[in-house]
Amino acid sequence: MTIYDACESSPQIRLSRRMRIVLFFLVEGVAALVIGFAALFLSFDPGWSAELPQQAVLRPSDARSGSLLFKTDDGYADALRLGIDVDLTVSGPTVRARVTQIFRNPTKDWVEATYVYPLPAGGAVDTLKMVVGDRIVVGDIKERQQARTIYEQAKQNGQKAALTEQERPNIFTNSVANIGPGETVLVQIEYQEPVQQNGNEFSLRVPMVVGPRYNPRPVVQSVDLRADGSGLGATSTDPVPDRNRISPEVLDPATNASINPTNITVHLNAGFPLGEVKSHFHQVKIENPDSTTRVVKLAEGPVPADRDFELTWKPAAEKAPSVGLFREHVGNSDYLLAFVTPPSVEQAQRQQLAREVIFVIDNSGSMGGTSIIQAKASLLYALGRLQPTDRFNVIRFDDTMDTLFPTPVAANSANIGNATSFVSAIQARGGTEMVPAMRAALSDTNHDDANSVRQVVFLTDGAIGNEQQLFETISALRGRSRVFMVGIGSAPNTYLMTRAAELGRGTFTHIGSVEQVDERMRDLFAKLENPAVTNLSAKFSDAIADLTPSALPDIYRDEPLVLAAKLDKLAGSVEIKGRIGDRPWSVTLPLAGAAEGKGLSKLWARRKIADAEVARTTRQESPEDADKSILALALEHQLVTRLTSLVAVDKTPSRPEGEPLKLSELPLNLPAGWDFAKVFGERPSLPAAPTGRRADAGDGKMHLAALKRSPVATQRPGTIQLPKTATDAELKMIAGVILLTVSLLLLVFNRRQTSPQ
Amino acid sequence: MRRFILPLAFALIGLILFGQGAYIHAKALLAQVLLERAFAQSIATGHPVKPWSWADTWPVARIEVKRLHASAIVLAGSSGQALAFGPGHVEQTADAGERGVAVYSAHRDTHFRFLKDVTIGDEIDVTRRDGKIFRYRADRSSVVRFDQSGIDPVTDGYELVLSTCWPFDALTSGPERYLLHATLIESDSRTRESDSRTLESGS
Repeated sequence: MTIYDACESSPQIRLSRRMRIVLFFLVEGVAALVIGFAALFLSFDPGWSAELPQQAVLRPSDARSGSLLFKTDDGYADALRLGIDVDLTVSGPTVRARVTQIFRNPTKDWVEATYVYPLPAGGAVDTLKMVVGDRIVVGDIKERQQARTIYEQAKQNGQKAALTEQERPNIFTNSVANIGPGETVLVQIEYQEPVQQNGNEFSLRVPMVVGPRYNPRPVVQSVDLRADGSGLGATSTDPVPDRNRISPEVLDPATNASINPTNITVHLNAGFPLGEVKSHFHQVKIENPDSTTRVVKLAEGPVPADRDFELTWKPAAEKAPSVGLFREHVGNSDYLLAFVTPPSVEQAQRQQLAREVIFVIDNSGSMGGTSIIQAKASLLYALGRLQPTDRFNVIRFDDTMDTLFPTPVAANSANIGNATSFVSAIQARGGTEMVPAMRAALSDTNHDDANSVRQVVFLTDGAIGNEQQLFETISALRGRSRVFMVGIGSAPNTYLMTRAAELGRGTFTHIGSVEQVDERMRDLFAKLENPAVTNLSAKFSDAIADLTPSALPDIYRDEPLVLAAKLDKLAGSVEIKGRIGDRPWSVTLPLAGAAEGKGLSKLWARRKIADAEVARTTRQESPEDADKSILALALEHQLVTRLTSLVAVDKTPSRPEGEPLKLSELPLNLPAGWDFAKVFGERPSLPAAPTGRRADAGDGKMHLAALKRSPVATQRPGTIQLPKTATDAELKMIAGVILLTVSLLLLVFNRRQTSPQ
Repeated sequence: MRRFILPLAFALIGLILFGQGAYIHAKALLAQVLLERAFAQSIATGHPVKPWSWADTWPVARIEVKRLHASAIVLAGSSGQALAFGPGHVEQTADAGERGVAVYSAHRDTHFRFLKDVTIGDEIDVTRRDGKIFRYRADRSSVVRFDQSGIDPVTDGYELVLSTCWPFDALTSGPERYLLHATLIESDSRTRESDSRTLESGS
């Protein structure tokens, strides 16, 4: 104001001209400063965001890894321990399994334990019992959220409680609250499962460990996956929303003894005189009480839970019975389970259809160790079996992908030789981006070609967490292709394999060791080369039947058709019709001849639930409708599903008020034959890294949710990230003052310009 | 009339910017008053008390440098929201008085403005939420990048680190952090009553 006054009062023009120039430069200068500051704001913004501490590391949900595990210096020595007892009874077509988990707490704290464990994908979990001292508490089936609430309430009240939840159809979690210092709590679950049959051979599998899964990052990439206009590509959020729930700690076998000792007993009542009975991956003792019964026990006592248990048996007779019919009466309904093996048609009687075979091999880090050897051996065997009339291609994938030929090529010796050297050079490394590989395999260049069949042979361990994305890809893109899944390794993800094969109208073959490669691949090729039994239908003459699977799948050579049905009355017969190649086939089974079976209603319900889940995936049914029918079935038949859980609460409170409760997630073994470094990257803080180990930069790309919870040897957080600790208060205030000054000066300037007039 | 538009616009923007800057300081000052109250209540009741009903954090400790008459209430967590109101206790670091390193971070231009005046040998008192007071002595300072703090959270010692942005008088945020390292010299476990009395006479 003083300047203004001075200028106003003195009419000296020279001074004012000088003033004008000075003012002009001042304004220019200030403007430059302001622009400079603006530029600072702009250019520093990305810098700031990059410096923010990584929130992902600090989420409270990550605290689930358990302070109990964090604070013990000498590893898990003091932590909660678990023993597992598996008791299986095979009665004819079904397996009843009782899995007892023994939680022992040697610590001085009250502990809540969570244990993630696998079950067969077709298993129907229907019973939960908790044994505390001499009390047995039986669990009730409840809607998932409700069960969770009941459990949390009991946990708060200091009562002992157990909760069984399904994370995937083959992954379950048991949580046990309030295990006191020095206490042992037994949790027992029971499930029902159909016996698997392939040709002459019957089998059962007990999965023992959940292999670490590759959980793809939540990336925008998944949006363009289904750009085929099917409407399936809703903007993708995280492909594995429950990654925390399926990624428990995994112990490095190099620094930790194997844990979770498991005992297995099988009471085998096959219902027919038994021939060879064989356990594939475990040493067993077999007792023979009579010709149709066997008792199978582990030869050397408990084993660590690091590989699946597989038992196969064959009938003493040359041929297995080709038909099996079983019934059970529950409530007002009869339940029927039928196995029918269609006859095999001789090669000569039909013309061979030309085939186009796409082989896909997973060479991700989880395949490291013996798995990749099995996969490569299987693929080389398959290449050797191709006929000159066939066309083929090879795709390999980890988190990258290579297609050998741009389009499928004829299986002449030059191309086969090319493919053989390509396969031989493959090494296991990196993540598992399975969906793009499946997409590539299903992209069919001549899909109108009716003169050839298109088959995709997909070799993988299925160690991914985004199964649903893969299923959606298959159901959207399968076209005329058929997908044959080959599960590799000691603990493959059988749920992924069976569901993918079902959606892809193919089969699932499991190869658990290098010795099995030849035999199993020969079986698979018998299926690939021989015509499938198609257009299958089943008709009941008298009874009204609710049949599952609702649409009968095609059946490959040596496979039985497995039917489950709920009937209003057990009368009349069922006629099964189909076509083998181009010849019609039919068989009629009188229902009166069915034998008494056990737990068939549960198998039927489980199968119906799987149907509903498939319908949900393929959008044949709205998610709400599917969920409604799943829930109704689960509650009626007491089954644990995606929507229902079993919960057991001990009425007597045991934890005194005020005593804190610590959470302990039980660690898992690495599946046998897996290479720890390939899955989790290098062991970062081993005192002296063995020099022979490759520091593979590719492994670093692998994103595993469990990475930061790798074993205790590597548990120390490296260094602390410091937050951003500067505000822009000063900057803003200074900029504000400058702008105010400028405006003031401009006002003066304006005034000076106006005043002479 | 038109020639007034530009200066007025400048003045308006200037006022808004100045106001925002002042608001940050005002928020920092006001929050500390509320936090003092909540912290005193926490000590008295033994439970975490939120300073205001919609807060997503709560006071966990008080840092005091008697020589400089400086004190601040530390909040749980070091998110940007928490740091606007007070120093934050960096996640995954020990509590004060426990084995390991307790790391507290705050803005250099608000709550940790006093940090540049702290000299080696100064005593820093940390009052925990349970009323226990621990006395640390500043023994060293360092300047590091935010992601290479070199702080080993599971060290065997009983240490305290106060961290803020470096350099102190810069106007923009940078990657460097100033760390003041201190070691426990005295753990005092007076009773709650006497503590809250000290607090009341202090505030």
